[in-house]
Amino acid sequence: MASPCEVLIKTQDKIFCEKLAQLTTSEVSRIENKYSRYKTTNLLSQINSSNGGSIEIDNETFQLLNYAKEIFDLSDGLFDISSGVLGKFWTFKNQIHIPDNQDIKKALSQIGFNKINYTGKNISLPKGMKIDFGGIGKEYAVDQVAKILNAHCKIKSDNFLVNLGGDLFAKDYNNTDDELQNEAWKVGLENPKSGYINLLNGAVATSGTSQRSFIQNGKTYSHLLNPKTGWPIENPPSSVTCFAETCVLAGTYSSLAMLQGSDAESFLESEEIEHILVR
Amino acid sequence: MQLINKHNSLKNSANDSKRISLKSKLAIAATGLLSATATETIANEATDEGWYFSASVLAYSETDRVSAVEVIFNAETTIDETGKLNIKFVLDSLTGASANGAITQNTLQTFSRPSGNGQYNIAAGTTPLDDTFKDTRAQLNLSWSNLLSPESDYQYTLGTNISKEYDFQSISLSAELAKGFNQKNTTISGGFSVAAEEYNPKGSTPIGLTSMAIRDNYPTEDVYDLAFDATRGSTSEAINSAELLLGWTQVVNRSTLMQFNYGYADKSGYLTDPFKIVSVVNASGITQDYIYENRPESRTQHSLFGLVKKHLNESIIDFSYRFTSDDWEIDTHTLDLHWKLFADGGSFWEPHVRFYQQSAADFYSTYLDQSEEVPPFISADYRIGEMSSITLGLKYGFEVNKDQRAEVRLEYYRQTPKSVGTERVAGLENLDLYPELDAVYLQVNYYF
Amino acid sequence: MRNLFRKAKLLPLLAMIVTLGGCSSMGVEPWDRDLLAKSSMAINASPLDQSIDDHIYFSKEAASGGRSFAGGGCGCN
Repeated sequence: MASPCEVLIKTQDKIFCEKLAQLTTSEVSRIENKYSRYKTTNLLSQINSSNGGSIEIDNETFQLLNYAKEIFDLSDGLFDISSGVLGKFWTFKNQIHIPDNQDIKKALSQIGFNKINYTGKNISLPKGMKIDFGGIGKEYAVDQVAKILNAHCKIKSDNFLVNLGGDLFAKDYNNTDDELQNEAWKVGLENPKSGYINLLNGAVATSGTSQRSFIQNGKTYSHLLNPKTGWPIENPPSSVTCFAETCVLAGTYSSLAMLQGSDAESFLESEEIEHILVR
Repeated sequence: MQLINKHNSLKNSANDSKRISLKSKLAIAATGLLSATATETIANEATDEGWYFSASVLAYSETDRVSAVEVIFNAETTIDETGKLNIKFVLDSLTGASANGAITQNTLQTFSRPSGNGQYNIAAGTTPLDDTFKDTRAQLNLSWSNLLSPESDYQYTLGTNISKEYDFQSISLSAELAKGFNQKNTTISGGFSVAAEEYNPKGSTPIGLTSMAIRDNYPTEDVYDLAFDATRGSTSEAINSAELLLGWTQVVNRSTLMQFNYGYADKSGYLTDPFKIVSVVNASGITQDYIYENRPESRTQHSLFGLVKKHLNESIIDFSYRFTSDDWEIDTHTLDLHWKLFADGGSFWEPHVRFYQQSAADFYSTYLDQSEEVPPFISADYRIGEMSSITLGLKYGFEVNKDQRAEVRLEYYRQTPKSVGTERVAGLENLDLYPELDAVYLQVNYYF
Repeated sequence: MRNLFRKAKLLPLLAMIVTLGGCSSMGVEPWDRDLLAKSSMAINASPLDQSIDDHIYFSKEAASGGRSFAGGGCGCN
């Protein structure tokens, strides 16, 4: 996952924790191994090296593709899991020069979720296209881990918190109304200006530009690329933290908000999404 | 720092009847994604309170002596969260030869097989080894541990062990109770074990201190048989033992653990080795006779053991020291060090060093001088003589896949028996009475 | 005299025990048990190796036990 991951459970039972540690780490490893773009033999790499051919997929992949399609449609093409190829033009750490528009146009021909053909059984990508579930993978893992924990923890009402690199889910069985702040998990947000939040029930996900951006000729370029133009999104917020019932949703809201650039605030307000936004 | 209290539940967007918002469409899509993938998660649960297996294969070989192969199969499972059941099955097979206790001579030596059926010759200048035993053994261990009650600080462990080989069988029972103190940073434990063992060697056990009858020395088979039978004792001999083990485990800090144990072991019965003899030599060092060894009928051993385990940056050091002392006057010291170095991808290297030293039993003698009176107890078994040994080993472990891992271990063992300082009889100077023993063993473990 | 010398060899071990004896509050909080929880940090982290080593040393040397019960279970000594 390349970021610190932890599960916190309010219990004194060591053996119970060991069992859950095993189950949750297995599930996270399973998802990572299956969809990591850094592995060379997993399902994702098979799909990405299919060179136009058809690859068999399972139900989980089918459901993830359906969800990715929903976000693609609702964001009017801004959230696109096939846009990863643009990454090669923008290193961000030591960007030497701005890429040539011609090169970007060529890359765009290999981008576009709408060009993907898939069914419940298989997928075929156009030649040269690569997909990557990085945008929703971590949040999905959080929700899957939360499901496992819920199945075991609800019996004795052991409250828990899942944190996979800043994407969180918390469950409190005793308080459905969050007045009891002493019981809540105190979560610090990366941007110190945001302070910290009391999380009792629900999911939190953050999208931010703080780590990957550069300045050239007085302009700030973020790591968020517009898949329709190939260029970075202009004036995205520094970070957006969203709250939702599930982590996948929270992550999607924050990603979509970032993609709105300078319109992030109005997007979040009009959709009535709980959030913390920092410019 | 600004404390922000956020209300985290999904606000009801049903009020917004103007359009089906992006938010609700997404919410539906997310619910669909997470519920559709439910079955895969639940499937993971089924394997959890399952069985964990491990298997081990050992190939052991001493230079010119014993070779052995051992296979272990272990199964472990958790029952009701805190109960642990462990089943272990061992099979081993030995071949080769083992020193019979007689000393090397400048002439050919002939010995009778333990059963009396047949004899074997040992060349001049070589250590007498008996290769009669080719044995296979099977062993079963069962152990069950649990807390006294779900919230208890007390944990009990019950165990049983059964072992059977051609001429020997053993059964033991053990019970241990452990209590945690100070948030389980301290654990005190007390355990008790009893065992009943039985020897039924082919040809019966020899009567200690009698002379070995050798066919060549007798005119006819019948006369030899009579002489051999006269050296025979009972067909079956029992050994009983009882042991007490007290332990104190202490967490020192986040990375360090220590354990101290005191053990008391009492063995009584037939403690003699029915296959070992002692050479009786004259003033010129020439063997005149072989007598069967004889050991006391009881042995009491005290042991003190200390262990430190420390987790360093990318490695773990495991260091232990053990001291034992018994009423046969055998004192031993053991220093054991393992250093587990973690490498990429869940693999590791673990070098191992062990030093061991023991003093001789007070009735140990390399040989018996003919002019001396035969003592009540005597044994030339190098394993209760004065000796030191060193082990050097290296282990490599790696993950085969997310559920299976394997380990390979290679160890070199060198044992150096020492002279007990008894006057060297002239004629024996050129002979090696304290041959070194070298052994190498390779072990492969598999966890699945 | 020999007995005294034999007992003197125990001094380092006794010293270790006595130093620890005075520390009844030694230890860690439950949430600091991350390293200790690793299976490699268990007292008997390699039971298969332990089993094989115990068997080999029991059949080749005079002492047994210490870490666990000394009983052999085989006729190899």
